[in-house]
Amino acid sequence: MLEVKDLRAGFDGSEIIKGISLSVKAGEVHAIMGPNGSGKSTLAKVLAGHPSYEVTGGEISFNGENLLEIEPEQRALKGIFMGFQYPVEIPGVNNAEFLRMAYNARLVNEGQEELDPLDFDDILTEKMKMLSMEKKYRERNLNDGFSGGEKKKNEILQMAILQPKLAVLDETDSGLDIDALRVVSDGVNKLKSADNALILITHYQRLLEYIQPDFVHVLSQGKIVKSGEKGLALELEAQGYDWLTPTN
Amino acid sequence: MTTTLIDAAEQAEAALLILHKKFMSGNRPPDALAPLNEAALKHFELLKFPHRKHEMYTFVNTKDLVATAFALTAEGSVTEDFIKSHVFPECESSYLVFVDGVLKGDLSDFSAIESAIAIVPIEEAVGQADIKEHLVDTIEKENDVFASINSAFLGEGTLIDVSAKKQVTSPLQILHVSTGTPSGKVTSHPRVLVRLGEMAELKMIVKYVGVQGNYFVNSVMDLLVGEQAGVTFAQVQEDATDAWHFSKTRVLQGRNSRVKAVNAFFGNKLTRHHFEAHLKDVGAELTLNNVSVLNEQEQAHHFVRIHHESPHTRSGQKFKNIVNDKSRSSVDGTVIVNQGAQQTFSDQLINNLMLSDDAHADNKPNLMIFADDVKCTHGATVGQLDENQLFYLKTRGLSEKVAKELLTKSFAESIIQTIDFPGVVQYLENTLLKKLEN
Repeated sequence: MLEVKDLRAGFDGSEIIKGISLSVKAGEVHAIMGPNGSGKSTLAKVLAGHPSYEVTGGEISFNGENLLEIEPEQRALKGIFMGFQYPVEIPGVNNAEFLRMAYNARLVNEGQEELDPLDFDDILTEKMKMLSMEKKYRERNLNDGFSGGEKKKNEILQMAILQPKLAVLDETDSGLDIDALRVVSDGVNKLKSADNALILITHYQRLLEYIQPDFVHVLSQGKIVKSGEKGLALELEAQGYDWLTPTN
Repeated sequence: MTTTLIDAAEQAEAALLILHKKFMSGNRPPDALAPLNEAALKHFELLKFPHRKHEMYTFVNTKDLVATAFALTAEGSVTEDFIKSHVFPECESSYLVFVDGVLKGDLSDFSAIESAIAIVPIEEAVGQADIKEHLVDTIEKENDVFASINSAFLGEGTLIDVSAKKQVTSPLQILHVSTGTPSGKVTSHPRVLVRLGEMAELKMIVKYVGVQGNYFVNSVMDLLVGEQAGVTFAQVQEDATDAWHFSKTRVLQGRNSRVKAVNAFFGNKLTRHHFEAHLKDVGAELTLNNVSVLNEQEQAHHFVRIHHESPHTRSGQKFKNIVNDKSRSSVDGTVIVNQGAQQTFSDQLINNLMLSDDAHADNKPNLMIFADDVKCTHGATVGQLDENQLFYLKTRGLSEKVAKELLTKSFAESIIQTIDFPGVVQYLENTLLKKLEN
């Protein structure tokens, strides 16, 4: 589904990702772990197509298509979803209305008819129930004045509604208390299927107790320094990130 | 250059004096008001017409306006359908129509609130000592030359009186219609006084519209808000695009009174609104939100002075201006905290969204504090759309065009949503925000 080959990318002229290769197949859950500043979030932003990040080398293909030539909105329509580490607040944009616009953008792209507010309401109600989100979130403005936990839940709500093929969740767990983490993880687990894939970017092993990864990659100084199965996360938890020595 | 400007101003002053003579000799003003007209005219001569160097008109070019010779409006006619199309749904039986500044009973319907308010012609109201005192006092202290001109031509004003403890349940709409002319230039000077007794409550919507263009509407509204009383109001300026709109809202607030105002401006040839508030007694609170959406060469300017005159008073102001094409906006806003007005809280935020390189937004936030135990903040931003917000929306599959339009609208929407009247909110979403689509 996703093939990353020797990816190099940076911000403002400085290289942050220094040659990452990664292969993600449908049905798989990959966890990318690493200390602060290792390039985890940059990888997420490059996958989503953030205009401030510059790709200086390598390739990314998604279902055989060169992703680097496609605008962020096209990537989204092709089924890539990024859960933001810091979801952006947009005062004046109603949450439910925004969710319907995003949902309809995908329908239209697939040649289907848009849903009117009433029909969409049924979908929204069901998804919000799944995430134990109170009704008030539909009336409120997009992330405006939401707490950290509320914002993260709202990201997963968007994921639930958009049903992406590949979801990249950038530190969705940070800032969540244990109850919220459980709700969010349950939600993500329900959305998992043999047809979609998940990349979890996290600093903490705790998330992986709730969402079981198939593969764990350790990122340090812009490179994957170790890949393994689920056990690697436990190893990291026990040893911390200090054992990671610079490889260049 | 300076000499020509001053010459032009002198000529315009002379023209205005002649116009005023016509007004007085035409037996227009009632006897009770004539001394006020004369006093205001004297004050006008003291203040003189502004030029660009005038401190109050730094951002507003009044040269064309001052140089234009206006005739007093002969009241034009308006159809009932026109009126109906401008009455908000919540005010179907609670609206007053002023045509070129004159209250039209036959076009108005305030049956829903008849028992709660009294509508008194100003010539009658001036017989009440406190109303007279207010008029005399404000004419003497007036610092805005256009408000002085309004008082000099005061003939048809109206007092809307809400007596103590009365709660006006349906919102009252005041509809100012300027009829304008197909040719020539006309001027009108609407004047409304709103008085709330102790613990009275009023909700109000003021809307300015024009039938035709070529007019200069120069309006003043005074709000006298008694102890513990509350007013919530919205003002919608939607005059003809080739009209001049000048207006002043003067608010005098008593102890523990609450005023919430939202102004929505469509702009036109030149709109200038002067908002002057005096938080006279302890515990008075004021919220003032403003939104303008300007295209082409439209202009809308705010001049705001908020006086905190007693302890424990609060004021909050927000301005959101969207300027596109070659439009211009400005906010000149000063908060004055008097000596002794301790525990005052005040904030002011001005945000401008520039959609074109040729648009112009001036900002002059200012604080004058003469007390030491206060919390006051102010700030101003000028910018384009937020890149992070744009990216966020695009990652959800919205196209660049849709995302930009959504963000632009949301900028204005955040003020529109603070309006307490659903009919007005919906109206502005369908009209003011429509200006952002192309």
